[in-house]
Parts: sequence; structure tokens; C-alpha cells
Amino acid sequence: MKHCPDCGAKLETPLGCGACGALFSPESTLTPFEVLGLEPSYELGAAELKKRLLRVSRVVHPDYFGSADAATRERAERASALVNEAHATLASDRARADWLVRWLGGPAESEKREMPKRFLLDVLEWNETLELARGASPGSAERAALVELRRVLRAQTDEVLATLAARLSPLPERASARLAEARADLNALRYLDNTLAQIDAVELESLRPN
Amino acid sequence: MGFIQLNVLNNAASNVALGIDLGTTNSLGAMWKDGRPIVLHPEGDSGYVPSAIHFTEKGAAIVGRQARELAIVDPAHTLFSIKRFMGRGLAQVEADARNVPCALSETDNGVVQFEMRGRKYTPQELSALILMKVHDQACKALGGIEVTKVVITVPAYFDDSQRQATRDAARIAGLDVLRIINEPTAASLAYGLDQKKHGKVAVYDLGGGTFDVSILSIEDGVFQVLSTNGDTHLGGDDFDRTLVDVAKKELASIVRPSTLDDRAFLQLLRLAAERCKIELSSDPEAYMHVSLPESGVQWRRKFTRHEFDALTAHLIERTLHSCRRAMADAKLGVEEIDEVVLVGGSTRTPAVRSRVEKFFGRRPHTELNPDEVVALGAAVQAHVLMGGTRELLLMDVTPLSLGLETMGGAVAKVIERNSTIPCQATEGFTTYVDNQTGVDLHVVQGERELAKDCRSLGRFKLSGIPPMPAGMPRIAVRFHIDANGLLTVTAREESSGKSARVEITPMNGLTDSEVEAMLNAAFKNARDDFDARRAADLATEIGTMVRASERGLAHAADALDRETRRDIEDAVAKARSTSAASREPQKLQKVRDELERATLPLAALLMDQVAKSALSGKKLDEV
Ligand SMILES: Nc1ncnc2c1ncn2[C@@H]1O[C@H](COP(=O)(O)OP(=O)(O)O)[C@@H](O)[C@H]1O
Ligand SMILES: [Mg+2]
Repeated sequence: MKHCPDCGAKLETPLGCGACGALFSPESTLTPFEVLGLEPSYELGAAELKKRLLRVSRVVHPDYFGSADAATRERAERASALVNEAHATLASDRARADWLVRWLGGPAESEKREMPKRFLLDVLEWNETLELARGASPGSAERAALVELRRVLRAQTDEVLATLAARLSPLPERASARLAEARADLNALRYLDNTLAQIDAVELESLRPN
Repeated sequence: MGFIQLNVLNNAASNVALGIDLGTTNSLGAMWKDGRPIVLHPEGDSGYVPSAIHFTEKGAAIVGRQARELAIVDPAHTLFSIKRFMGRGLAQVEADARNVPCALSETDNGVVQFEMRGRKYTPQELSALILMKVHDQACKALGGIEVTKVVITVPAYFDDSQRQATRDAARIAGLDVLRIINEPTAASLAYGLDQKKHGKVAVYDLGGGTFDVSILSIEDGVFQVLSTNGDTHLGGDDFDRTLVDVAKKELASIVRPSTLDDRAFLQLLRLAAERCKIELSSDPEAYMHVSLPESGVQWRRKFTRHEFDALTAHLIERTLHSCRRAMADAKLGVEEIDEVVLVGGSTRTPAVRSRVEKFFGRRPHTELNPDEVVALGAAVQAHVLMGGTRELLLMDVTPLSLGLETMGGAVAKVIERNSTIPCQATEGFTTYVDNQTGVDLHVVQGERELAKDCRSLGRFKLSGIPPMPAGMPRIAVRFHIDANGLLTVTAREESSGKSARVEITPMNGLTDSEVEAMLNAAFKNARDDFDARRAADLATEIGTMVRASERGLAHAADALDRETRRDIEDAVAKARSTSAASREPQKLQKVRDELERATLPLAALLMDQVAKSALSGKKLDEV
């Protein structure tokens, strides 16, 4: 569906028509890319994505159906939830890659959970640094070690993200080996993200007033 | 009022909606007019309705400024800060309950009830009274036009129960809620609209009972909330309480111990503390006065701003920690914030301003009236919802993660906090025993690991699952948080395509039938009020007529035949006794009409005499 069945205008999204205000409830499940009127690809600029989000939101957002009947308002609610869900998936490098890997028939997260080999020793060390920093006061050596760990992990994250991007662009063949490699990268990112989140939590917690 | 389309049948506006800021301390209505939002206030009135309710001896509710004044003479029958009880059970409002001058109880579903003059009121009903007052003021300002569609604001950090309670309050008030929007977001609408701003904005809203901080990105008419944080039990009331605590300690040796626990006395202390606090915003020192004429207590205590700042530093620190969390969730550093906007009466406290300025490293905006921006923003959103413009787009977030309690009492997150709304998530469930037809879900909101540490939104019971062997049914449960931030849950059994029934036992909420009953009661009260006013008007009119008739009879009795005279005397006697005894408008109307009919001949006679005397050069009042 590229044109509105009601008024014939070109559609920004299969969920509704900006020209005549009609809302559609597509039968089949739409991909996040379809929802936002984009071609599937890993490379996706933040500005372009935001532009699409706003374009499509201006067509389906419930705020523009404030005086419509209850059924239309409900349709706008659902359409808008789909748009926001699609945006959340595509806006995150991890979620977008994860979705593409599954879409192309690659392994799901649950099928390939093992810890990346190169992290086996590292993870133990990270946890120790975190543990020591938890009780430490700001400015202590333990906290300085935490800040250093964050720097290292951020650099590693950037590296893995770059590899992931290279594996997924252009998009690999369906069920190809590159998908399994991409999944391994995503697993590595899970460990890195998790540890980085814990570091942030320790810092935030130490600033909490009693 | 040419811009309003009126329905000629009931004088109701069909194309406009009000924005209402239902605050803990003050409430206000606004509307879009001539290209901008304006505050609605009747002539000679600021339009603010203090969110206070006084109950007269007869149990009638007086709302607003008058109630605030009556609190000084009769604190025991005046309620404040009702918003702090919305969507809450008794167990969660212990500290606030100590500030209430009456007994509290709870309904079966855990809704707090205030006992006043022999009746129990839920916070929803009390908030409805405030909404009715604001609505009434707004409609008066519009020259008596009835506008029933409204946008109501709530603190961004309100959870689902608190939002539901607000919507129920509006329903009880007979209002049609187009949308519930978040206060800081509303403020940013009013602000961004005015300044045509671009960039990252932090809205810091410290009111009477709640604190919110929202981080937004504003760009080309798009207001996108990146994150929000706050505390629905932190505000000016807590600042007052620090002074109250000092006063209580120092008064302990002066007043009887029973007085210190007396709810009315505490109310008095609170009012005195607030006055002192407000003075400290403009003066370096101020006195807190407490006088109890009956027991001869005259107490006065000087507070310096320095001392007050020390007493309240921890409260400000808590707001800043919420700011830190919001910044972390928005993935922004403070140096990336372009503007800071202050909202709410408590941001007039100098220490709040300076701490916020220091935290964000830039001077906050204060040029917008912090008391009005929220209502003005609600009016902007009302305008959008009525189809007024597609230039603006508001994208807000849900403040708290939504989760399900798992077998071990932990929480499985379904929707993450700060997800853009509307949002949805679908979870799959199955059965554990053969032919099981129902599944129970416990839905919670919050960030803690254990369900018992989060806010319970209630138990959802899925029923009507077709009988199948254990593990066979595939039940898809859909959680949808709508643009109001309100949750709906629907369920379907996938293999049969049958939708399962979802029955909700709200936690700390009203059922639909309870809301219905309260709506009817509110209408009955409104009718009673109307009747009382009409009865009073009729009684006055009858009094005037009786006096005029008696005067007329004294002048012209001789000119009337006996029967007419008797008729008039009977009607006068009846009117006088009825208006003294009855307050029923129908009865009063009847005797008034009878009196008018009986006195017609007298009136004609008097008119005649007046005409004659005019000819003879006499003045009217000499007749
Ligand atoms: N000049 C002032 N200095 C300090 N606090 C003030 C001042 N004026 C009002 N307040 C406080 O602001 C709070 C009310 O703020 P408001 O924004 O109206 O609250 P709400 O939105 O909760 O109704 C009260 O606690 C009141 O005492
Ligand atoms: Mg407020």
C-alpha cells in the first residue's frame, strides 16, 4: 500500500493518510521499517529516523483525533503505539541489529547466550572493581578505578559497534554465517552495556541524599 | 465571544475545551483564545482557586478562597492538600494523614476516606468539588457559557492509580476529560510557545505537594520529553513541616500535650508555618506566630533565612537527585541543557533557585508566572485536541516501568520507564493445569526488583480461556499505555482467537459503579445547592411583597371590598408563615404566586391612586 485507498494521496506510513486523515488497521504485522516508511538497513542516521518519526506521528498521533469517535481514537492510540515501538527498535543500534538478525533468520538471543571468550577473565575483574567502588567515597582510588574502567569499556563498546556495523552493512544473506557473528557481537555488547549501567548506578547511588 | 460555537439548546460550547491545573495548593483554568492561551478569571478575581474545602455545620462544601479563610477560624473542618491522597491507600499516606484535621478510613478497594460532618468523602469526590469550582469560575469568566470538555494536568511522576483517580474526579464533576497531561510538559508548551525556543530544556516544578523534573527536546513545534523523574510526596508542604516540627518541639513546654496532638491545632501551626516560609522568600528573617486565645497562648518565634535553609537543605537535595536521575535517563550532561524553567510556588524560595542554578550551571527562567504556566499549557493542548492546529506535537513518556509479579515475587519488566507514550507490549502466558480457564496477573509500577517494593496497580484476572491441556493455550496479553499515561490490559487466546475477559480489581481505586454513584450524588448536591439558592431568593422576594402589601392595605383598605381584603390578608399570612417554615422552592413559588394573584386588585387600586395623586402634584412616596 503506497497510496491512500480513500483519497489517492501518497502515504508516509501504512497506518494512515496525512492528506485526508484516514487511519488504517493493516491486517498483517508490519516491520518497524514499514511502519516508519523506511527501507530495511542497518545504516540509519539519527536525524533521518527522527524526521520519519515526526512525519508519521503527525499522521497518526491521538492528539489530532481528540474530537473523533471512540473507535477512531482507539485506532490512533494503537497506530501511535506501533510507531513509537518501531522508533524505539530502530533508534537503538542494539535493538535494530537484533531485529535485523532475527528478521534475516539468524540466531535469536536465547539460542546463543554464551559469554564471549575474550571477556571470560575480564568480567571477573570488572565485577571486582565495581564491588570495591560500591562502598568507596568519591575521590578514592577505588572510584578512580571505576572511572578508568568506564573509559576502557566505552572504547570497547565503540569497537564492537563498529564491527557490528561492518557485518550488517550491506545486509547479509538470509541465514548466513555473518548473522551468527553479529549475534556474538550483540552478546558482547550485552555484557559491556550491563557493566556500564552498573558503573553509572554506583556513581548515582553515591550522590543520593539520605 | 464570537469564537465559540454554541449549542443553542443548552448554551454549551461545542468547539472549545478548558485546560485545568488541578494543583495540591492552587487550581486554575485557562483557554485558548485569539491565538494564545489565557487564564480564565471572573472580573475582579485572580481566578486561582485555593485547593481547600470547608464543610459547614450543615455539611455543605465551601471551596476555594473562602474555605482557606474559614480554615483560620475553623481548622477542624477544612481540608487541604487532598491531591496527596489521590490513588493512595491509608498505608502509603501516614505522614500526610497526620496533617488531616479529621478521621480517615478506607474503602474495600483501599481508597482513603475523609470523615467530615458525619459523611465520608474520597479524595476523588473532594477533587471533584475543586474541579467544579474551577469549572464554574471559568464558565463565569466566559459569560456563563458551559464548556464541559477539559484537559487536566497531573504531576509527571503520577502513577497509573493517581492518574485514574484524577480522571475519576473529573467524571464525578461531570466533566468530559479529553486528555490528562503532565504538568512540566504543559509548562514547557506554554514556555516554548511563547519563546519559540529550540533545544534541550529542563523543567523543574516544585509545588505544594509534588516535585517533577522533565527533560525535553523542543524543536519546530515538537515537544519531545526525553525523561522525567520526581517525587509525588515532596513539595512546599514538606518545607512547612520543618517549621512545624520546630514549633512543636518548642511549644511542648507551653501547651498541654493533648493540644500538640490536636489535629485542628496542627492545622493552625501549618498555616502559621507557611506564612513564615513565604515571608522568608522576600525577607532575611520572619516570625512564626501562634496564638490560642482560649488557653492564653501567645507564641512567636524568629526564623532567619539561614536557619530555614539549613532545615530544608535535605529536601532540595532530594529534588536535585531526581534531576540527576532524569539527566542520566535522558543520556545528557548538565552542560547540554540549554534552558531551565522553574514552575510552582515553591520555586520562589531563594535557596531553591540558587541550588537549581548551581546544579544546572545556568540561570533559570522565571519570567513566566510560575502559578499560571501549567494551566496555560493545558489550554494549548486543549486547543490541539479540539483540532485547532497540527503545528504542535507533544510526545510524552511514561514515568515508571510497568511490570508483572513473577512466581518468586520478583518483577518482570514489560514496559521500561521513559518509553514514549502511547506504547504497548505483548506478553505470552499459558496454563499450568489441564482445563484451566483463568490466569491471575499482578501488575506493578516502579523501579524496584521486588513486586512488594513497587506500586501495585491491581490484580488482573484473565478468564474465559477455552479448556485445553496444560501448557496448550497461548494467551497474548497486551499492555497499552495511552496518551494519558493510563494503562489498559486486553487478552486473547491465540489458538482459538477468543478474547479472554480481563477483570480488574483496582488497588486504591474506584470501580465504575462507585464513580457512577458519586457522579449522581454530586449532581444531587449541585441541584440541592441550586434549590437552596432559589429558595433563598424566593423568600427574600416574598418578604418584600408582604411588606408592600401590608403598606398598601394600610393605605387603601377602605377602597377594597371585604372579600378582596380577606383574600389579601389570608395570602399575606400564608406567605409569611410558609417562607418562615419552608425552604422548598416549589412551595415558596406557589405561595408567592398566590400572593401576587390576591394582591392584583390592590396593586391596581394603588396604581390608580398614584396616577391621581400625580395629577394633584403629590409625590409618589406621599401616597
Ligand atoms: N513566595 C513563596 N515562597 C515560598 N513558597 C511559596 C511562595 N508562594 C507560594 N509558595 C508555596 O508554593 C506552594 C504552592 O505552589 P503551587 O505551584 O501553587 O502548588 P501546586 O501546584 O501543588 O498547587 C505552597 O507550598 C506554597 O506555600
Ligand atoms: Mg502545580
